Amino acid sequence: MQNPCVPAIEVADLTQRFSTALAVDRLSLSIPPGMFYGIVGPNGAGKTTILAAVCGLRRPTAGTVRVAGHDLRTAREAALAQLGVMMDGLSLPERLTAAEILRYSAGLRGLDDGWRARAGDLLEILGLDAVPRTLIVEYSTGMRKKIGLALALLHRPRVLVLDEPFEAIDPVSARSIEHVLKQYVDAGGTVVLSSHIMDFVERNCRRVAVVVGGRVLIEGPVERVAGDSTLNERFVELVGADPVRPLEWLS
Amino acid sequence: MTRALFALKLRLFRNGPHDERVFSLVTGLILAALVIAGASSATHGVIHEGWIAVALTVWGGMWLFGPLAQPRHEPSVISHEWLRGYPLRPWRLARALSWTELLGVGPLVTLACLSSLVVLAAPGGAAAVVVAVAAVAAQLYLLVWAGRTVAALAAWLLRTRVGMTLAAVQTAIMLALSFAGWVPVAAWLLPRLGEGDTTLVAPATERLPEPMIDVLAAAPTGWGYSAALAARDGAGTGPVLLPLAALLTVGALLQLCWIALTVGALRRPPRPASPRRLCVPGRDLSLPFVTPEVAAVASRELVTWLRDPARGVELRSAWLTPLLMALVIASSGWSWALPLAGPAVAVFGAMVAINTYALDGTALWQLLTTPGALKADVHGRMAAWALVFGLPSVALAAVLWAVTGSPLGGAAFGGAITAAAVGCAGAPLLALLMPAVGTDARDRIHPGQQAGDPRGGQMTIFPVVLLAAVLPGVVGGPWWGSFLAAVLVAVVVGVIPLFTVGLLQQRGTGLLEAMATRGTAVLRAAARTKS
Repeated sequence: MQNPCVPAIEVADLTQRFSTALAVDRLSLSIPPGMFYGIVGPNGAGKTTILAAVCGLRRPTAGTVRVAGHDLRTAREAALAQLGVMMDGLSLPERLTAAEILRYSAGLRGLDDGWRARAGDLLEILGLDAVPRTLIVEYSTGMRKKIGLALALLHRPRVLVLDEPFEAIDPVSARSIEHVLKQYVDAGGTVVLSSHIMDFVERNCRRVAVVVGGRVLIEGPVERVAGDSTLNERFVELVGADPVRPLEWLS
Repeated sequence: MTRALFALKLRLFRNGPHDERVFSLVTGLILAALVIAGASSATHGVIHEGWIAVALTVWGGMWLFGPLAQPRHEPSVISHEWLRGYPLRPWRLARALSWTELLGVGPLVTLACLSSLVVLAAPGGAAAVVVAVAAVAAQLYLLVWAGRTVAALAAWLLRTRVGMTLAAVQTAIMLALSFAGWVPVAAWLLPRLGEGDTTLVAPATERLPEPMIDVLAAAPTGWGYSAALAARDGAGTGPVLLPLAALLTVGALLQLCWIALTVGALRRPPRPASPRRLCVPGRDLSLPFVTPEVAAVASRELVTWLRDPARGVELRSAWLTPLLMALVIASSGWSWALPLAGPAVAVFGAMVAINTYALDGTALWQLLTTPGALKADVHGRMAAWALVFGLPSVALAAVLWAVTGSPLGGAAFGGAITAAAVGCAGAPLLALLMPAVGTDARDRIHPGQQAGDPRGGQMTIFPVVLLAAVLPGVVGGPWWGSFLAAVLVAVVVGVIPLFTVGLLQQRGTGLLEAMATRGTAVLRAAARTKS
């Protein structure tokens, strides 16, 4: 049972500098357990950098990250044990099939035999059992997202960190992923995801942070952030969009 | 279009990495200068001019066999993938591209080398010099297109599973000849070395045999040489024009062949539209003395060695090379040296396993986000290496020792054990210290794609494992020799993995970033920050 007083993710004064560029600037977030949390922002806002720091894939220049109360710097193994991670645009053990990669992941984590039933369920629900002999390297983008989600969920983590889970995938794949995530949150899990799909964020997330230039511009319940308009309209308003002059040569 | 492509290539030369190109240019020009100096000596009668034919044959051989020795090296600076999207007819594009292939370090240093023909023909007067200049141009034309066609053919073959094996066989032949090609010569000079008799049988050769020079001159690499000498000696129009016409005709045919292969490459989609190869899912691997975490990694590694196209070529060549070396040794009469093939498996196995982290690419993120996975990964890689190369190398040495009864058998057996221990522990360490980052694992479909150039790491681990292999033979029979070897094995297997795990924990995120951005500069910066 999760302690409701301990945030699932707590980021304090996170700073990430790449050479002279400041990607994340003293950013702080506190995400309570059982929350469906969205991080949105324009390209280059620092969303992936924040998530990479949250799941230990990047050492921050400054600041702290705590996962279910465990400091990622001083209690890394305990913090990582709480996390299920799905990163966008990175490889997996590419020469394995879906069943093999789940078995590999279960072995690597030293899971008990219960993983077999969970793996079977995940493969079936996500539609990956239809291609049992296809290697990951041959997967489409949607299939990659699905196997990534299955890997992130296999060990029943308390917190799911998902980087762009709906980027470049078809509506059918998106629907199955969305259903799995809803079930997970309903059962008490915490989801932290980055996305450009405002419609999805508005429909599912309870809280959202709008990140621009490595800083949180606004954070709170989705309804409050969106105000009287849609989240998409509010986002464009917050981030600011330059007027697009008409191109004569296109007419 | 040809002019635009020339301009593009010049810009790529100017703005691209220069290290390898400058090294090739300097080395090539030095070698070319040696050939020219040899030609000058030949005109003064210091050496026989047949040596120039030998030099030109070797030089031409490099054009032909270079692409085979490095089947995954893309010689074209302008990537065909960039050009696929342009609305241009592939034949027209390939024709225009073909002329840009004449621009590069290889053609330049070859031109310098072939100018030795002008030096050879100079005593024949102005007409002979003019013919020699034409011979230089025609010979260069043929060599460039021979090399480019072989490279394109190798790239095409590498898209298939059969090609993967062929590439491995080619590499193995080149390596076996490089490492054991001297054995037949040595066996000829020292036929009774295995019995401890070091009497040297001196060969009686004052000059190159005439039939050998005739053969070299008759080969395509010697046609320019034949034409230049025929012009110098005033042999008439036939002996001069015939080789020149042959050079231009065969060169043009090879150029046409290259254009056809390039058209095929330009028409080919960058990725297969549907899965090409289905595989039978593996089963659980249970290994004695290892944790389930390590067994999981070892199982992943074994499957990856068999299925990853880049690793597949390396695995095959690492195994074929010692076997071909054994074949060369067996045919030379030095059967007492056969057990040395055992340690050779460990040496080549270590060389092909020094880039596994870079080959697995950004899949490293999974290890970095899984508690305890880094230690299991290092140990699992070692276990898989021991199964694929280590134990077989020891077994091969033992079998060949038993079969041949060689006096070197004990040393070879001990050498296989120490080499296997050093290779097993050293390969993952070097894979972390010197990753050669190339195309990420998710984007590599066939071995023809750039998977990083691990030659630096290979050249580093080669002498280390070789030294470990010869150690039992050097320290010899006393008890302390065996004791020393055993201590070495224990230290290597026990201590190095601890260091490797620590390094992975320290540099893992930097390595991941380097692979995600495909830049080792990032890794160097990360290492500097840590130190």
